Amino acid sequence: MGFLTEFIYDLYRVLSDKIYLSFIKEDRYMYLVNGWVVSIEITAFAAIIGIVIGVLLAIAKIMKKPPLTQIADWYVSVIRGTPVVVQLTIIYYVILANSNLPKIIVASIAFGINSGAYVAEIIRSGIQAVDRGQTEAGRSLGLSYGQTMRFIILPQAIKNILPALGNEFIALLKETSISGYIALEDLTTGGNLIRSVTYESMTPLLTVAYIYFLMTLILSSILARFERRLRTSD
Amino acid sequence: MIKVIDLHKYFGELEVLKGVNVEIKQGEVVCVIGPSGSGKSTFLRCMNLLEIPTKGEVIIDGVSLSENMKQLDKLRRNVGMVFQQFNLFPHMTVLDNITLAPVKVLKMNKEEAASRAMKLLERVGLTDKAKEYPSRLSGGQKQRVAIARAMAMNPRVMLFDEPTSALDPEMVGEVLEVIKSLANDGMTMVIVTHEMGFAREVSNRVFFMDEGIIYEEGTPSEIFNNPKRPRTREFLSKVL
Repeated sequence: MGFLTEFIYDLYRVLSDKIYLSFIKEDRYMYLVNGWVVSIEITAFAAIIGIVIGVLLAIAKIMKKPPLTQIADWYVSVIRGTPVVVQLTIIYYVILANSNLPKIIVASIAFGINSGAYVAEIIRSGIQAVDRGQTEAGRSLGLSYGQTMRFIILPQAIKNILPALGNEFIALLKETSISGYIALEDLTTGGNLIRSVTYESMTPLLTVAYIYFLMTLILSSILARFERRLRTSD
Repeated sequence: MIKVIDLHKYFGELEVLKGVNVEIKQGEVVCVIGPSGSGKSTFLRCMNLLEIPTKGEVIIDGVSLSENMKQLDKLRRNVGMVFQQFNLFPHMTVLDNITLAPVKVLKMNKEEAASRAMKLLERVGLTDKAKEYPSRLSGGQKQRVAIARAMAMNPRVMLFDEPTSALDPEMVGEVLEVIKSLANDGMTMVIVTHEMGFAREVSNRVFFMDEGIIYEEGTPSEIFNNPKRPRTREFLSKVL
């Protein structure tokens, strides 16, 4: 019995020392707080940029107008065929090297451009998964192409699109963890900074992992609620 | 009222329609029969340009569809279509399915569209289903709603593409009854069907299609009792 209490006491002391060293001393927890805010900002901006680019690309792909469709196809295959960390560094060190834009904007643009390609594919496949008969029924009633899209196809496509889009944003949130490559202090970088001043790895790394996990958990529960609400007609 | 002149349709290399010539008068009910793959559905779908003919003309009320591609949406309003697979809009209630096109295309106000929709639902015997979603309806009910939806645009012609082929046998009758009542009201109709008894009863004229042409046409009694050409005879001997 005495052995067990001693062990628990030791564990507590070691852990509290580590937590003190990693987070409390010199207000080091602020690395994580500030990093967390940066990660959220990049994800939110990139998601907006990604949706705008994705919708435009999906329209270009579906319209089947040769030059537009071709450009969209190229865009998607180039983005999907290269690693996001390479894209990020090219945009920061090459394309926007002389732009003087804040790093957080550069990162948002880079992740947005990347995400746009995936969003485009999600939207395109969601629209094309709606039965052809739906378009035919709409057009045979005299609705224009645009009206058919707006009132008949898109409301149904959203049900196909939403779960995949949610996964894409969860992936996006996690991908922003490479922002450190352009010396941007996001959540992951915050953890690494703590590590480099304290030489203590376990607590900051596990904490960073836990924060990401918590965020994705919250995101997916919000999405699950959305999906349930869209299912009224089934 | 409908004139089809030398209609050809290719799908890639495959020639599905090989020169169809037809004239259908106001108030006529025409049934199109024939083996599968004979081009019946394609012929029907060319009449509201869901398929674009490779060659030839479709003229409805003196207006050529192929020469007025820009006004296609306008011309299509006059041609109602009922599909084998119903194609109801699953995300809308029965009532919204029927009122969508009158409101968005004809700019009818919602109350008027709804009251007309209710009258049409009464005709097809489904007033109690107005607020249901299509997933809650049986096949026969879905098809009756689809007919009401097409009728809501006040079309000059109704096209039926095998309206009972996807139905369970016990639901065929209720749908045919509705189509029959439209025929009795003088609606101009073209019906692709495998229901020979129905075709005989309801139509003024029957087209027998085979290999991309109208191989034989005539009144129901001419076609069903007295077919003149060998392939018509062969087909009817198999299905009757």
